[in-house]
Amino acid sequence: MTLNNMADPRRPNKIFRYKPPNTETNPTLEDPTPDYMNLLGMIFSMCGLMLKLKWCAWIAVYCSFISFANSRSSEDTKQMMSSFMLSISAVVMSYLQNPQPMSPPW
Amino acid sequence: MRHLVFLLPALLLLLALPDTRGRYNDDFDDGEDIAEFDDNDFAEFEDVGEDPAVDVEKEPPPRAAPSSTPIEDDEDEATVENEDGQDEFEDGDAQEQDMYSKYDNEEFEGYEKSNPSFKDTLIYREVPAHLQNSWESYYMEILMVTGLLAYIMNYIIGKNKNSRLAQAWFNSHRELLESNFALVGDDGTSKEATSTGKLNQENEHIYNLWCSGRVCCEGMLIQLKFLKRQDLLNVLARMMRPVCDQVQVKVTLNDDDMDTFVFAVGSRKAMARLQKEMQDLSEFCGDKPKSGAKYGLPESLSILSEMGEVTDGVMDSKMVHYLTGHADKIESIHFSDQFSGPKVMQEEGQPLKLPETKKTLLFTFNVPGMGNTSPKDMDSLLPLMNLVIYSIDKVKKLRLNREGKQKADRNRARVEENFLKQTHNQRQEAAQTRREEKKRAEKERIMNEEDPERQRRLEEAAQRRDQKKLEKKQMKMKQIKVKAM
Repeated sequence: MTLNNMADPRRPNKIFRYKPPNTETNPTLEDPTPDYMNLLGMIFSMCGLMLKLKWCAWIAVYCSFISFANSRSSEDTKQMMSSFMLSISAVVMSYLQNPQPMSPPW
Repeated sequence: MRHLVFLLPALLLLLALPDTRGRYNDDFDDGEDIAEFDDNDFAEFEDVGEDPAVDVEKEPPPRAAPSSTPIEDDEDEATVENEDGQDEFEDGDAQEQDMYSKYDNEEFEGYEKSNPSFKDTLIYREVPAHLQNSWESYYMEILMVTGLLAYIMNYIIGKNKNSRLAQAWFNSHRELLESNFALVGDDGTSKEATSTGKLNQENEHIYNLWCSGRVCCEGMLIQLKFLKRQDLLNVLARMMRPVCDQVQVKVTLNDDDMDTFVFAVGSRKAMARLQKEMQDLSEFCGDKPKSGAKYGLPESLSILSEMGEVTDGVMDSKMVHYLTGHADKIESIHFSDQFSGPKVMQEEGQPLKLPETKKTLLFTFNVPGMGNTSPKDMDSLLPLMNLVIYSIDKVKKLRLNREGKQKADRNRARVEENFLKQTHNQRQEAAQTRREEKKRAEKERIMNEEDPERQRRLEEAAQRRDQKKLEKKQMKMKQIKVKAM
């Protein structure tokens, strides 16, 4: 019996459940990229809408894509979708107001 | 007589016509000879009366009008309809333009100068780009959309690659884990503790696996920290600076599973970094990382230890064999009974408490391939998992002797004392503020009491309490003085 126990290290009576690590106490563990990108995306899309700058709107689209790629699975999809929609609406509005193509900065 | 009356105007007309035709003829004949007119502009008009002057006046406007039409034709694609009557004038008009423009402007007073555009430089206005029917002008937009499509493609490819790598790792390790742990795979949400038998996907690049139900440990959390292959920016950044995929294993132990010691071994860079970052390593392992060559390890590995006895105890032959064989894959191995994670930056004015510690074994392994890993590389990590299991059993058996234990206890007491000293001021301030708050609250209560009797009584009670406190303090001071003497 003891040999059996020695051979098999498993102990079903000693099971502990998984507890996700508390990220509030240790903020260094979290990756801040998706949050920053989300914020940047919103700022750029507001700039693009208010100041009618096409390149701002395009950068906002890129920011929201990057934020989506880096997001955690626990994050709200509503937040992602809202930032997407905002940036796409910024692009569309810029082109409706001024259908001229973007001119490169050089 | 009447016939004569009719004949006279006819004769006059007949006389006038040849003159006019003749004038035209003269013009046509002498059209090339402009020099003649330069010298004596009005030569042709000298013998002629006012009629030619009137005729001349009438001529420029109709001739000016047709002269402008050929210019219009040249300018735009838009067609300008010519009046039929003016077509015959076109050939001669061009030649006559120069002649008329050199004449005195006063002659043409009242007429708009309708042929100045012929003299001025032609300005070609650009058609606005969005009205042109060409996609070429939108090349910046096309570039942007192409960039987005490239990003999406990379996202899908990267996500799939990471997923395949994770699955390959799990498939190669599943047997070992299932033979060692009763619970393999748990996300913490289900009511009953049953093995899910699959990885938790935290991100597109981080996968977790929780194993529990074994002797000598509480549980084991394995984190597959892959590179962010799904993010194109990260992919480009990695082209500049190559990084590895990592597998991180964190084994949490019960209180009786491990003796009190702190130990770490790993690559030199990692050791230097951990000594600065980790709370327990910086407090207990003050010396610089020592080379592992003394214990038979390759030069690339170095050791951080609380005391020599611990190193001797951990570095047995099997461990050395493991480490030597897989030195390139080992980033760091950290055993600690005082593990509390990396150093946390404390805010000023916060009353500090000793961070909570947990007996932990922490392993960080590098996946071979330096980013260009294939699912087959995951098999090479299997011996490292064996190392983990071996370490768990070893740590349970490793006990310090009496001397070692005393040293360890002293170290821990020292660290605690230092901590208390540092926070002493802050704790004092905190206690002071708390006392003041209490007093203030009491005073407010007394003030708010409407009944004057009660007020007086509460005031007296507060006074008595203060007196007692003063007396106590005085007694203490007296005692200290006596002791000092």
